[in-house]
Parts: sequence; C-alpha cells; structure tokens
Amino acid sequence: MNATEQIVAKARELLESGTVECVIGYERATDGVNARPLFVYQAEEAGKLIFDQTCAHNLAKYLLNRKGKATAIVAKPCDVRAVNLLINEHQVERDKVLIIGVVCPGMVETKWGRVSEKLRQACELCREHTPVVYDFLVGEPGDEEAAVEYPDVARMEALAIEERRAFWEKQFSRCIRCYACRQACPGCYCSECFAERLDPLWVGIRIAPSESWIWNTMRAFHLAGRCIGCNQCERVCPMNIPLSLLNRKLEKETLELFGYRAGVDAETPAPFATFRKDEKLEVGE
Amino acid sequence: MAVGHEPRIVGFLCNWCSYAGADVAGTSRITYPPNIRIIRVPCSGRVDPLLIVKSFQMGADGVLVAGCHPGDCHYSEGNYHARRRLAVLRPFLEYLGIERERLRVEWVSASEGRRFSQVVSSFTEQLRKLEPRKGAEVEVSS
Repeated sequence: MNATEQIVAKARELLESGTVECVIGYERATDGVNARPLFVYQAEEAGKLIFDQTCAHNLAKYLLNRKGKATAIVAKPCDVRAVNLLINEHQVERDKVLIIGVVCPGMVETKWGRVSEKLRQACELCREHTPVVYDFLVGEPGDEEAAVEYPDVARMEALAIEERRAFWEKQFSRCIRCYACRQACPGCYCSECFAERLDPLWVGIRIAPSESWIWNTMRAFHLAGRCIGCNQCERVCPMNIPLSLLNRKLEKETLELFGYRAGVDAETPAPFATFRKDEKLEVGE
Repeated sequence: MAVGHEPRIVGFLCNWCSYAGADVAGTSRITYPPNIRIIRVPCSGRVDPLLIVKSFQMGADGVLVAGCHPGDCHYSEGNYHARRRLAVLRPFLEYLGIERERLRVEWVSASEGRRFSQVVSSFTEQLRKLEPRKGAEVEVSS
C-alpha cells in the first residue's frame, strides 16, 4: 500500500470505530496540482484523502480549533514537532490527538500550475524524515539523523554588519504586513497579537519600513526557542521575504546556548520558560 | 562618529535595585552622563524584548537593562529570565544589523550608586564610538 492508501484506510477505520470525530489531512486542490487541507468527519469521505510531495501545509495549526475534541491528524516530521510544541504549551491535549505520522520524502515546489522536481528550501535543509512521535506510522522509518546544520545562517553571519542591516531593511521594506506569516504559523496563537494592539500602538499602521521592521523582528523573536522550522511563514509570504533566515538564526542560538530544539519532545520546558542559576550567558555586563 | 552627536540611551531600571542605585548616585552627588533616559520597571524580568526593539525602532542609540544581581531578585527569579531572553536578543539584533554592544545588561544593587555612574559613563563612551542611529521619524516613505 502506498502512503495515500494507508492514510485512507486508517482514517476510515478511525471514523468508523468512533475513535476520533475528525481526521485532518490533505486532498487535491481544485487546480489539480496543489494539495489543500481536508477535514473528514464521515468515514465515506475518507477516500478523498491524499498524500504526496505537494502536501506542504502544516496542519497542526488546525488542532487549535479542535481543542478538547478527539482528532486525528496527518503529520509530517515537522508537523509532528508542531503538535509537540502545542502539547508542551498546553494548547492541545495529547490524549485527544491521534497522530498519523508520515515518513516524509520532502515537499516540492509547485509553481504556475505545475509540480516541479525541486525540493522546497526548508526540505532541502531538513534532515528529519521520520516523525519523533506518532500513534500510527505511514511508510518505513529510515536511518536517522544527521546533525542539524545552518549553512544559510552562517552565510548571513559572515557578512559585515552594515551589509546585514541593508539586506534586512531592503527585505522588510517589501513587507505589506498582511500577517499571513502569523496566520500560517502553528506557534502564533495569541488571542490578541501585539501587532493588533492599539494602545500602546506597537506596530503603527502607516506604510513605513520601520513599522515592518518591528513587526518582522518581534514576530521572529516571539518564536525564539519555539519555532519548529516548518517554514509555513515563508511558504505563504506573498512578498517572498526570507523569514526562515530569521527563524533559523534564533533556532541556532537557542540550540547553541541551551541545547534545545523545539518540538523534539512535549515535556522539556522551552528555554524561556526555565533557567539555570549557574549558567554563564553573555549579556554585555 | 558624527560631530556633536550625543548618544541617546533608554535605561530600563528595576525598581528594587538599580533604580534605587541610581537614586543613591543622585543623593550622593555622583555625576553620570545625562544621555540616559530612565524608565522605572518593576523587575528586569518585566523588560519585554518588545520594549527594547521598540526603543531601537524609535532611534535609541543604546538600551540599558539594569536589575538586581543574579540571586538577589525581589521576585526571586525575574532577572534569570531576563538574562536568558536578552542573551538571545543581543546576537539576534546583531544579525539584523544593530551592534550587540548597543544592548547592555548590568546588575546594579541598591547601594551601588558609584557603579551605576560607571556603567552609564562607560556605556555612553562605548556608544560615542558607533555611528548615530536613525530613528523611525526620518524613515517615512512616500
């Protein structure tokens, strides 16, 4: 059985037995090329489910709308880490979520109504193919795991500070502040985002580079030690701002300073939720 | 370095140690540069990175966060949390093009008036060596 058939069979079984009320997965979009999220409530509809290299969405975000209700979710390794993040932060209960983990071949770019051979940038850098946790696994687990590397971040760090400042000013000046990055992010679930506060007005509504600067800076920093690197923010960005370069810098810092990677398990407290009294940290004293 | 430029420092001082330390500097007639604008906060742990980033957005040349020495926090552990957050924020700001020296974290107790003066003096001197920063008000695009 291929991945799609396994997912369909499992979804049907889960819905028929009443183990879950809903299975969140993917179906083919109306353009016939891309995948889109599908919520299956009836066993008869499970046949619509698919899985292939176009299933780029991180469906963990939708678990936030199903708090307290038994739900199964089709999840790639990065999505599983997002589920772990939400469990860790008490947004989702582990016993209400049934994870249909998928061994991930990496997702490909889809452009102009065509599926390309090219892996998405995040998938090219990703070294995880088997989910860290699952209730049911689709596919064969492979040999894991090569060390995490940050060649893209290292390239940025190698630039002179003025060049970096100019680079980011240019990137952020293109931001239209549609907040799609936030909407797609499984870690961004505050009921009131600082960007929407009017008093104090942290992010002004005028069209100015500095307002986009503060938005992008703080969006990234709010995910420091929490970002699981699914790269949904960059995928949905209509202006193609390289947000992963920000997220991965913070990921690298928290890994180096605290030895922490978000979502690897659901128990270890996040770096900013804990501290060690004797730790030596460089803060400029 | 621009001629005649005076660096502007936003100082977030914890109510229990550093703010009292600054007060001691004042009552003891210890001088320190007038470049710092002091904002009193309940604890260094209260200093949301957003406050710091906002200060830089508005054109601050430097931001000083001062709190009780580790172990002496009035709320037991606020400064430990601050230390972790700011240890990550500094390299992140540098990555965005704001030198990490512009954000400084210092531990100043309620009796260390002289130390407070020294911290502000050395920070001001350090910032004089850097280019002045442009504030938000000069960046409005058409």
